[in-house]
Amino acid sequence: MSSESLILFFIVAVVLVGGALIFSSLVPAKSFNPAKSEPYECGIPTQGKTWLQFNVGYYLFAILFLVFDVETVFLFPWAVIMKTVGMAAFIEIMIFFLILGLGLLYAWKKHALIWE
Amino acid sequence: MEVIIIIALTGIAIMMAGALNKPGFSLWIAIAGLMLAFILNFRLWNTNLHLFNDMIVYDNFAVVFNALIIVSSALVFLLFHSHYSPWEKHLDEIAALLIFACTSMMLMTSYGNLVVLFIGIETMSICLYVLAGSRKYELPSNEAALKYFLLGSFATGVMLFGIALIYGASGSFDFHGITSYLTSTGNQTSSMFSIGLLLLTVGLLFKIAAVPFHFWAPDVYEGSPTVITTFMGSTVKIAGVAALYRLYAYHFAAIKPIWATTIMIVSALSFFAAVLMALPQKRFKRLLAYSGISHAGFLLMAVLAMNQYAASALLLYAASYSLATIAAFTVLVEVIEVRWDDELSVFKGMGAKNKFLAFALIVAMLSMAGIPPFSGFMAKFMMFSAVAESGYIVLVVFGVIASAISLVYYLKPITLILSKDESNSTNIKLSWEVIIVLVVTLTLTLIFGIFPGLLTGLL
Repeated sequence: MSSESLILFFIVAVVLVGGALIFSSLVPAKSFNPAKSEPYECGIPTQGKTWLQFNVGYYLFAILFLVFDVETVFLFPWAVIMKTVGMAAFIEIMIFFLILGLGLLYAWKKHALIWE
Repeated sequence: MEVIIIIALTGIAIMMAGALNKPGFSLWIAIAGLMLAFILNFRLWNTNLHLFNDMIVYDNFAVVFNALIIVSSALVFLLFHSHYSPWEKHLDEIAALLIFACTSMMLMTSYGNLVVLFIGIETMSICLYVLAGSRKYELPSNEAALKYFLLGSFATGVMLFGIALIYGASGSFDFHGITSYLTSTGNQTSSMFSIGLLLLTVGLLFKIAAVPFHFWAPDVYEGSPTVITTFMGSTVKIAGVAALYRLYAYHFAAIKPIWATTIMIVSALSFFAAVLMALPQKRFKRLLAYSGISHAGFLLMAVLAMNQYAASALLLYAASYSLATIAAFTVLVEVIEVRWDDELSVFKGMGAKNKFLAFALIVAMLSMAGIPPFSGFMAKFMMFSAVAESGYIVLVVFGVIASAISLVYYLKPITLILSKDESNSTNIKLSWEVIIVLVVTLTLTLIFGIFPGLLTGLL
């Protein structure tokens, strides 16, 4: 067992991370301005609290959108090799669509698509 | 392959039944699916299938462990059906997640590729994070889910880093590629490979809650709904150990000198430290959590033994441990339902009014402690002799000492049950599902204790 290299690995990990933190706190020129610690909102001064609760519907829509995004990612390589693989590829992608469609049906039936 | 597909379809069917407002079918769909999978599983006996370019290797080891996972999942499912009230929200989703976790555990026993191992572990973990928090309005359940998620995802990251390093060193995710890399270097691994192997091991050991990666286990076990704790304590642990065994005994056997010391120390630490930590516990769930950690240590012994007895010893130990755990938790679930508490004192005087429950708990505790004629004894005996055969005598000595100490806390509930104090014992009415679970677990515990050859002859 190359335990020296193991120890070296952890030392390097600690030194790199710790060194970066220490270095970045020592080197830069520091200036303080209260505006710096405010959340950035298009340059306009912020109005009210920024710790708002968002409607959970945003997340649901984002996740449903992501599902079909990922589907597209799989579709492109499939389309490239579709001709060489033939019918089997077609059937497999249809099974994949079916599972994704069931997921959408599930979300639909659970009223995830209604904006409340 | 049909087995994994059928169980996945079962999960989808349960979820869709719930979405289409057809509640109440989940138990029957799940039982039908699991039974079909169980039967089909044994049709694959001795076929040694290699599927999807060796992504999945369905050999006899996978067949028996998948059978074990299916049976214990089915038992947990019966328990779930009896104890999640029908007016609870998202019942079908919880049921579907249980089945999906079962699917991913089958990948963990039959992987032939590091990516499949990762997918299996990750799918299982995600299901478990949600299941741990499935009682949305109870604070402990939320706490358990958050703790499990934060620590578990960190461990997953560590494991993924390990896989990446192994890939970087060997140029392959596939075990054929990794094996040919190892033979080409004459089993002298580069430091990159060793570090990757270490990180992968850390991730896996976290999932089975072996010391020193066990800190999450008592808190998560205590906070989660008890039915889910049953699942985590029994099925998940078996799947994790099966994955570890397959990784080391099948694929990394040639480089045993590199990992043997680590696994030996972790195994000894697990059973010894957990036994000592379990002694002062006042709550039964935490006690079972620590007992689970110590059993993880005993199960790791099989990984170390790596001779012709190791696989069958692991199978017998996993089976007897999961049966005893399910029986003990079933009794606990019933008691919690009435008393809303899991302090050990709730068992006081239980033997007078609830003879069957008391008997079940006594058998479960004795089996876990390793007392004949229950299967825990034969399992420990086989495990110790397999490890001794490979020359780890010191480990066996420590193991025997640890299991002697463990008697103290296994016998504590038994003395409380048999005590004469009947002031706080109430008659608990058992549902038919619970009776089935208890009868099956107790019968199998006794059968495997008297005829261990039924299991050990398989592998």
